[in-house]
Order: sequence, then structure tokens, then C-alpha cells
Amino acid sequence: MNNIDPAWAWSQFKSTNRQPWGLTQAAHLYRRSGFGAGRGELQRAVAGGVQRCVQQILHDNQESQSFQDEMALMTRSIVSSGNLQSLATAWLYRMLKTTDQLHEKTTLFWHGHFATSADKVQDAFMMQQQNDLLRKHAIGDFSEMVQAISQNPAMLLYLDSANNRKTHPNENFARELMELFCLGEGNYTEQDIRELARCFTGWEVRNRAYRFNKYQHDFGKKAFLGTQGELTGQQAIAHVISTPAAPLFIARKLVQYYVMDEPAAPEELLAPLAKRLRKDKFQIRGTLEMIFRSNLFYSEHAVARKIKSPVDMVVGIMRGLSIKTDLTQVAQRLQEIGHGLYFPPNVKGWDGGRTWINSSTLLGRSNLMHALIHSETTTFGNTSLQAHLQHNRIHSLAHAATYFSDMFCAVPLADNSKSQLVASSQQETNNTEQQFKSLLHQVVSLPQFQLG
Amino acid sequence: MHHSYISRRRLLQNTATTSAILAGSTVGAGLPQFLLNASENQDADSNDNVLVVIQLSGGNDGLNTIVPFKNDRYYAARPTLAIQQDQTLKLNDELGLHPAMTALANLYEAGTLAIIQGVGYPNPNRSHFESMDIWHTCRRKTQQRDHGWIGQSVTTALPTSQSTPILHLGAEKQPLALAAPTPRAISIRSLEQFKLRGNQQAIAAAVAQGQASDPAEKNNGLLDFIQSSTSAALKTSTELIKSTAQDVKRNGVVTYADTALAQKLQTTAQLIDSPLNTRVYYVTLDGFDTHAQQANAHQVLSGQWSNALGAFIADIKQRGHQQRVTVMVFSEFGRRIEENASKGTDHGTAAPMFLAGAAVKAGVHGAHPSLDDIQQGDLKHAFDFRQVYATVLDWMEWDSATALNGEYPTLPLFL
Repeated sequence: MNNIDPAWAWSQFKSTNRQPWGLTQAAHLYRRSGFGAGRGELQRAVAGGVQRCVQQILHDNQESQSFQDEMALMTRSIVSSGNLQSLATAWLYRMLKTTDQLHEKTTLFWHGHFATSADKVQDAFMMQQQNDLLRKHAIGDFSEMVQAISQNPAMLLYLDSANNRKTHPNENFARELMELFCLGEGNYTEQDIRELARCFTGWEVRNRAYRFNKYQHDFGKKAFLGTQGELTGQQAIAHVISTPAAPLFIARKLVQYYVMDEPAAPEELLAPLAKRLRKDKFQIRGTLEMIFRSNLFYSEHAVARKIKSPVDMVVGIMRGLSIKTDLTQVAQRLQEIGHGLYFPPNVKGWDGGRTWINSSTLLGRSNLMHALIHSETTTFGNTSLQAHLQHNRIHSLAHAATYFSDMFCAVPLADNSKSQLVASSQQETNNTEQQFKSLLHQVVSLPQFQLG
Repeated sequence: MHHSYISRRRLLQNTATTSAILAGSTVGAGLPQFLLNASENQDADSNDNVLVVIQLSGGNDGLNTIVPFKNDRYYAARPTLAIQQDQTLKLNDELGLHPAMTALANLYEAGTLAIIQGVGYPNPNRSHFESMDIWHTCRRKTQQRDHGWIGQSVTTALPTSQSTPILHLGAEKQPLALAAPTPRAISIRSLEQFKLRGNQQAIAAAVAQGQASDPAEKNNGLLDFIQSSTSAALKTSTELIKSTAQDVKRNGVVTYADTALAQKLQTTAQLIDSPLNTRVYYVTLDGFDTHAQQANAHQVLSGQWSNALGAFIADIKQRGHQQRVTVMVFSEFGRRIEENASKGTDHGTAAPMFLAGAAVKAGVHGAHPSLDDIQQGDLKHAFDFRQVYATVLDWMEWDSATALNGEYPTLPLFL
């Protein structure tokens, strides 16, 4: 890791014989920049070439107005029902159906970054309002997003900042702003936190809306992170983001989310991305483009170097096999294995990587997939799994094993593994549909499948 | 000096063996067969000491847990949150427990509770995540820290023999304290859930084959990690499926509260009473990050862990394991001396730790941290948490230097 040349890493990837652009690379790009794709879309991506494919993912996949209207209607009705659990169902639906996969994938990134749990907020309106805010800014201006999230009622309630008075200011928001949102631990002092907290005094939530209470705001002089003055909350945020640690911190998190779980990228490797962020005035899109066009992204340092999140795992298989099912159950089961949308575990969000995996979540993942594959409400392209595969010219179990491996496993299954899986599916049942389902469940229970 | 208790423990072990034989007809009754199977081939001594860790996540307010009711400074700093002297459950002339902790007060009365005051570490970090990582790994951010103190201790002390030396009960991610060079800790949300649906035999065979065959992808640490984790999970789960008795019968007579923590500790007591021979159990209780409106939340949480611990110790005693089980309670930091304007408290530093069980030297250890001689508005620590860890590991008869990243003097916390 330490000997990766940053210049090479961020140079534009070009398809060569040694490093081709093929189905494996396209599947990798679609898994990382979105939630995977069906066979047809991958084949079109291969034919069109990598540059065109990235261009499309970043610029040309906007949602149609009718889809946006459909989503707005759906979330409005859920919000008026007040059902917090249903929010996740609507979001899963959007991840499955949206044409703008990168946008949704990045919205999920920010949901983990500005983690706020409905468990504490207990208000569907405010939670959805925050979700819409994250979506609005997802691949736009990070500075604007931080300013907006800082006055977001759900966030203020979650970090206990709904009542912040000038005597004894509450330090929670100021701390997390620097530690988790902008700079990372170690880039500020306790004194910085105390001073910064003064800037946010008088920021309140009244009637589910942000309100500035000038009587509780500390208008005095503050000094933190090398600046001083009678700073307002907005000015303070702008200063925090202007410090050198900020673009590096965001670059590090983006690399971890889109490129590789481990090892942690050294600062030299992150520097070009951070520079780009700064140059773009924190517009996220250009940095993402740099990532998805890079040598690093298609190299051995990135391919199969991430563990799928539970949401990635489920939405990926559903998109790949055109699965329709009862999404309420899926959302519930995702929560059970540690990825409850709108219910992140704490203010740090999901750590990802190895922390997704333990004995309990591994069995939980396999059992979730079993329930999904075998549920009576599940269809594959509106039909049976066997018919759906036939439609894609997959007629035998052996062929299906290869298909599943190519589509869903970042590390391909060995030939002898595939034949063993086929044999055990045949031993298990004489019903051919059940054999295909058994084969699929075995594949998605293997370690190779857990890599994204 | 501190070795004296070992010989005493050896002595007591005979007694424990006798009572286990006497209780032979009920030991493990109703437990899943897989748990019984799991220990069949093991050479381990079923009278080995057992550590149960309760992690209070979010930063427990030590000052309102052990209240210094003679201290005017405490009342000045906390105009709305201070607990009045007559409300506290008196420990001595100066200190009282939070009024919700009657069960803890009873343990104290019964001589089975050690309170270690003012525990922390130098240059305290007030980030939840960084401070918790420090407690979990005994290392700072600048140092390599992939493994936890418990995971490392088990790796050193029990390099091969046991299948489930560490059990984490809970739906949250596995605590870093349990991470080991090769995964040794099993996480279980509930015993009933720990069962694979589908063709587990075929899956297990395919996992084994994938592990054995020369992988096309070299040096993928993530793949290795998932492979060994999957093998371990399937191994335990397969044994569970073999069994017919999957329902754990509540064979104790002690009543536990209907809280998640109490239920986890009840399962822990049942498993300790089975032949499973797990050495460390780990449970957490979240919600201690009380920045606003602290009083009610802290009251509920304090009552929860106090009651759960009280029932657990009674249960363990009733099952005859009281000498070999110690519970350790900690939080990543205490809270600020001064309350804030939201009727809450912000992140602080030193706070009390607790050890419970018949083996511990009961009482209040150390002085209450001064509220006048402070640093950055926070309490100074008197004991390093690694001293407590070292003492507990010593009681476990495990080496501590590697896991704790140094030699820490033990404290007289055990009989």
C-alpha cells in the first residue's frame, strides 16, 4: 500500500490486454458506484467502453420526473402514517428502481457520515426531511451540505442541540462536527470544542424547525483552530471546512467507501483527491469521477477489497436477478444484521469493513438470503428463477453456477467449487426450480460472495 | 502478594467440583445439545475462572453513580442534576450509590462488590470512539491496534484448544476488545437465532474447499477473515442443528427483569452452568451519552444494569459458580463535573469501575477523585484501567503483558 505511486493511482485507467475492460470490471464498477446491475446492463457497459460508462454513471442517469413524483408520493404517505419502519422500505425501493444509482449510493454514504437515528428522533417527517437533504446535496457541494445538516432538526435533536444556551453550552454537536463530519479525531483540541460550542448557542428546534434564539446566542469573541473573532455558527463551520484536515478526511472516507476497506490509504495517496476537492470548492462529483476513472479503482488494490454492506448485498442480488418481493420484510431483516436504514447504530454510522462480519451476522446474511430466495412473495423477473435464467439463456445448473459467480462474486468461485455446489443442489431435491434456488443460496452463503 | 488468592482459589475449586457433581442432574439440562457437544473433546477444566464484561456505552456519569454527598463543589457544579444525600444509598460517610441501584447496594452489603474509584488513563481522549478503542486495545491511535485485550489474552493463553473461548451476546457489532489474530469470539444475537437455514452441509463443505484450495486471489486478508469467520460460525451452528433440544429451559429460580441486558445475563448464567467452558462473556448496554435531560435516562439505565447484575450474581450463586465468576463493569469515560445548559453532562474523564462476584475483595478501592484538583475541568484518574485489566487477567491466570501492551502492577481487588 505504501508503495503505490499516487501519480499512477489517479491516472486514467485505459483498457489493455493486461488490464482489460470486461464483464468483471464492469460488474465491479456497478457494484461500487451503485447497487449492481443486471446482465444486460453489464453487457452494454462492456460494449460501450469504460469512459462512456463512467460518463453515464456520473452525468447521464438522472431520474425521470415521473419517478421522482412517484417517490415523493410514496414518502409523503409514509410520513403522514408516521411509521418509522416504512421509511426504510421506501428507500430500498428507490435503491432498486432509480436510474441514478450513484446518487443513491452516495446518499447512503452520507447517511452513515451524518448518522442520525430514528430511534432517538422518533419523527418520520424529520427523518425523511433529513434523507431528502442528503440526497439533494449528495454529489453536490459538501460545504453547503454541512451548513444545511447543522440546522437540520433531526440532527439537532439527535445530538441534543435542540436547546443550546450560552451559559454552559452543550458540546456534543461541536465535537461531532469536527470529529465525525469534517476533520477526524486528532485534528482539534478540547479547547477548540469548547470554543466552537459557543458559536452554536441559541440554535434551537421549535415546531420541528430550526430557529435562531438571539437571546441564547453567545455573541462574544471565540478562538479555535487558528482563528478568532465574533464568529457565528455558519462562519465557524466555514472555518472548520477551510482547514487542511477537511479535504483529506473526506477523501479518506470516500476511498474507504468506494475503493477499499483496508489497508487505510496513506496520506500521500489521498493528497491528489484532497487537492481536487479543494480545487472544486468541495463539489463531490469531480472527486468521484476521478475515483471511477482511476487505475487504482480497477487494480488488485480495489477489486474484491471491500466487504459488501448488507444493503449492498441484498439490493445487488435483487437488481441482478430482477427480484420482486415484500420489501418490508427485507428492511426488517437488514436491521437485524446491523444495517437498519434510518437506524444507524450511533453517531459514527456504520464502520463497515470487517465490522460487518461476525458469526451472528454471517448466519444472519445467509438466512436473510434464504428467506428472500424462498419467500412465496418473491419473483425473478416476474417469473420463476428457472424461467428467468432461461430467459437469459442459462439452461443448466452448471451454467447457472458460473453466471452467479460472475455476477455476484468479486472473487470468482473455483471450478471444482462450482461442480460441488451443483452436485449438492441435485442431491438435495429433484425439483429443478428448487435446485436452482438451492444453488443460488449456496453461492450467496460463501465468503467469495461477501466481497463487494 | 496478589498470588495468595490463587492457592485459595485452588482450594475452593475442589468445593466447586463437589457441588457440580452434586448438582449433576441439573447441570446443562435443557441446553442445546451443541453446547454440550462443544466441550466433549476438550481437555479444559470446567472449573476455570470466567470473566463477564458489561460495557456501559456512551460514557457513564460516574459522579451520579457514586455520589460524593459531602462535597459542596459537587452540588455547586450540578444545580439540577445533583443527587441529594438522603436520596443516595449510603456506602460510607461520604459516598452513596444512585438511588436506582438498590441491587448494587445489596451486593455491596453482601460483600460481593468492589468499587474502584477514579479509573482512567493519561492524556484522556473524550471522543467516544477513540476512547473506547483505547479501552478495547490498550493502545493509542498512533499505534498498530488490530486486536483487543481480551482477544489477545485468549490467543496467548489458549492458543488452540477451545472452540468458543469468547462469547459476545448482542446484536451490535462485535467489540474490538474481542478481536484476535484469528477470530476466536462468537457473536450470538440469541441462541434461537443461531441456526443456518438451507443446505448447511453443502455450504460448509464449499467453504472448507475454498479455504483449502489455492486461492486465485493472493494476500486478500478480507477473504481469509471471512473464510475463517464463516467456518467458525458454521461449525458451531452445525452442532446446533444436530441437536434436537434447541430451546433453552429457564432452569434457574432467580427472576430476571424483562430488559435486554438482564436477558443476556440470564443466558450467560445458563451457559456458564453448561459444559461449554467459555471463558469470557461480553455484553453491552448503550445509552449513557446523556448530553441532555440526563436525570431520567440515567436513572433508568442505572437501575437496569444494577438489577440485571444483582439477579445474575444471585443466579450464579444458586448454580454454585460464585467463586469462579467475576463480572467487570466499565464505560469509555465519565462525564464533565459541571452540568451543561441542557440539563445534561458532556464527555469527561475518570470514572468508577466495578467488579462483582464472590472472589472479589469487596469495598471501595481508592479515594473519590478530587473535584478541586482537576485537569481541563475534568477529574484526574488515580488508577489506570490497565491495572484493573492486569488484575483480572492475573485472576484468570492469563498473561497480561502482551495484551495490555506493557506491564501494569496489579491491585488488591481479589480475595
